[in-house]
Amino acid sequence: MNRREFGALATSALALGVMPFRASADETCQSPYMPMITGHEEYVYIWTLGVEGMGDEQDKMVTVDLRPDSATRGQVIHTLSVGGRNEAHHAGFNSDRRYLWAGGLDTNRIFIFDVHSNPAEPRLHKTIDTFVKDSGGCVGPHTFFALPGRMMITGLSNDDDHGGRTALVEYNDEGEYVATYWMPTADDMQGAVAVDGAVADGYGYDIRALIRKNIMLTSSFTGWSNYMMDFGQMLQDQEAMKRFGGTMVQWDLHTRQPKKVFSVPGAPLEVRFPWGPNANYAFTSAALTSKLWLIYEDDAGEWQAKAVADIGNPEDIPLPVDISLSADDQTLWVNTFLDGKTRLFDVSDPHNPKQVYEKQIASQVNMVSQSWDGKRVYFTSSLLGNWDKKGADDQQYLKAYDWNGTELVETFQIDFYEAQLGRAHLMLFGSAALYS
Amino acid sequence: MRITFALAGLVLTATAALAAWKLAPPGKTGITSGFSSAFEASEDFQFDPPAAGSYTLNTIKTAPNGEVLDINGNKHDLLDITQGKISLVSFVYLNCGDINGCPLAMSTLFDIHDTSLKIPALRDEVQLLTISFDPQRDTVEAIEAFAYPITSDEAAAGKLDWQILTTAGQDQLRPILKGYGQVVDRSEDQEKISHLLRIFLVDREGNIRNIYGLGLIDPRLLMTDVETLMMEEGRL
Repeated sequence: MNRREFGALATSALALGVMPFRASADETCQSPYMPMITGHEEYVYIWTLGVEGMGDEQDKMVTVDLRPDSATRGQVIHTLSVGGRNEAHHAGFNSDRRYLWAGGLDTNRIFIFDVHSNPAEPRLHKTIDTFVKDSGGCVGPHTFFALPGRMMITGLSNDDDHGGRTALVEYNDEGEYVATYWMPTADDMQGAVAVDGAVADGYGYDIRALIRKNIMLTSSFTGWSNYMMDFGQMLQDQEAMKRFGGTMVQWDLHTRQPKKVFSVPGAPLEVRFPWGPNANYAFTSAALTSKLWLIYEDDAGEWQAKAVADIGNPEDIPLPVDISLSADDQTLWVNTFLDGKTRLFDVSDPHNPKQVYEKQIASQVNMVSQSWDGKRVYFTSSLLGNWDKKGADDQQYLKAYDWNGTELVETFQIDFYEAQLGRAHLMLFGSAALYS
Repeated sequence: MRITFALAGLVLTATAALAAWKLAPPGKTGITSGFSSAFEASEDFQFDPPAAGSYTLNTIKTAPNGEVLDINGNKHDLLDITQGKISLVSFVYLNCGDINGCPLAMSTLFDIHDTSLKIPALRDEVQLLTISFDPQRDTVEAIEAFAYPITSDEAAAGKLDWQILTTAGQDQLRPILKGYGQVVDRSEDQEKISHLLRIFLVDREGNIRNIYGLGLIDPRLLMTDVETLMMEEGRL
């Protein structure tokens, strides 16, 4: 595959003042507004679900040491419990990367951690308890996407019927509410155009932006009534299985106005834009149909959506979850929860992805994060508290690998149940080098 | 005595642009709507800015007060300056040499300042405020020298105001930076100051209505937002 240089915008967008905050090692799928880490990632913060009867039973931010020469590398060096269980799920840094916002899908609480005062020991800076009230009924704060001075948060649900109709909610960096933008629905398209007969369902999940195109994309999952239901029970509930998102929305980034609604059946989840200067597309994976989708700008300058590859055997419903695009846009890691595998796709031709590698990580796997240079890949296990596997298959972990270009070689792992921590979900990298 | 700054190149560029502008002055009426059309599109911004007034700029937070010094050494409450006009507030330090840092912001501001000749509606309604976050080196004398191309501009009467400001020290600067949310890291190497590039749009009542970072420092976008605020106020 052809490896090309990163574009000027990709690197310039990451520059932090005059200090050499050029990207060299970091996860690759963050907001382009935030600074990247120079050198090796030093810590990984893992937003962890508390488990009844285990340890202090609370959700917690777990910090693991990743410093190459540290005596405690690969060990938990700090935990910070937040009080109670909230269905801890996703998290994201603000645009100056000094604070880490983490959400609870059940309680709608948002925890803002200070990660710059002592990156090895995050401390709780502020808790937002008014997300539903602030937003006018949005439920399930999910993705935290940094904008300059602000945080854009996707919801998963609403407090009217606890279904999938939801909104984007904007706060300022101080944690004060700014605005709510409800997703377009068939009854209220808000000026958006339905592409090829797409029916706007109003659902939400992830959000990412391509700044130079002034484009924001959102995906769609399911509401509180499903994500808090037992997974096995939900699979047997035909009505519940109808309540999954099947759309993506293209927004005007600057005005926050929806422009197009695409039909992307089967719950499209994570959205990943490339970094290349002329790479005008994004990937997502549809969980229920096990398809990799491409949302791309065509030759006429119009954005389109199409399925470009199967992920595993769709008939087996491997359930694609997190994806991670390499910094050079050439490869894409794709995790599938139910078979516990990660797959690497060659996406050098984004219209024709080809699987080039596959590895069993565990009985279940959810999140994947890679270093900016692609040489280190990390995996965690939990999908949702009520969706994780049961019994011996409920393996909860952080696993770290080196990627040598041919295979993943394990460097360490932490059993989160053995350590009495809980269910390991979202990972984000930290480094003291970000703060002088 | 003129002090040589890393931004001096930009000053020269602006002076040259000014000279060229005098050779071809705008029409009397100028641009009265669609302010962004006065600026050329850059390849870094591959989109047409939205139509002014077609969207809402939410209040993000209240702009802070603080004590600043102008180029004559006079003290001012920052709120006395920001209230009453729409302001584009930027933070720089004069020794900044990062092309994606202060010089990028200053280049955009010089562009807006010069082009404002074409948009008479801006002159009495909008201002540029550039505040140094390096008060130790960016003294009153230093900012006065830096502001020379602006203060000596013979066409200044037709342009929007641009004030270069500093502070008496870190104690005065700190609440301003904190209130705006402008992160500045001073390393042990005091020659360099790490910071995130930010420009803030502040309305006439002192509310921050937009925050621009890298990837958004597009004069067309800034002017579309300014025009949107003026339409909201019923001044257009």
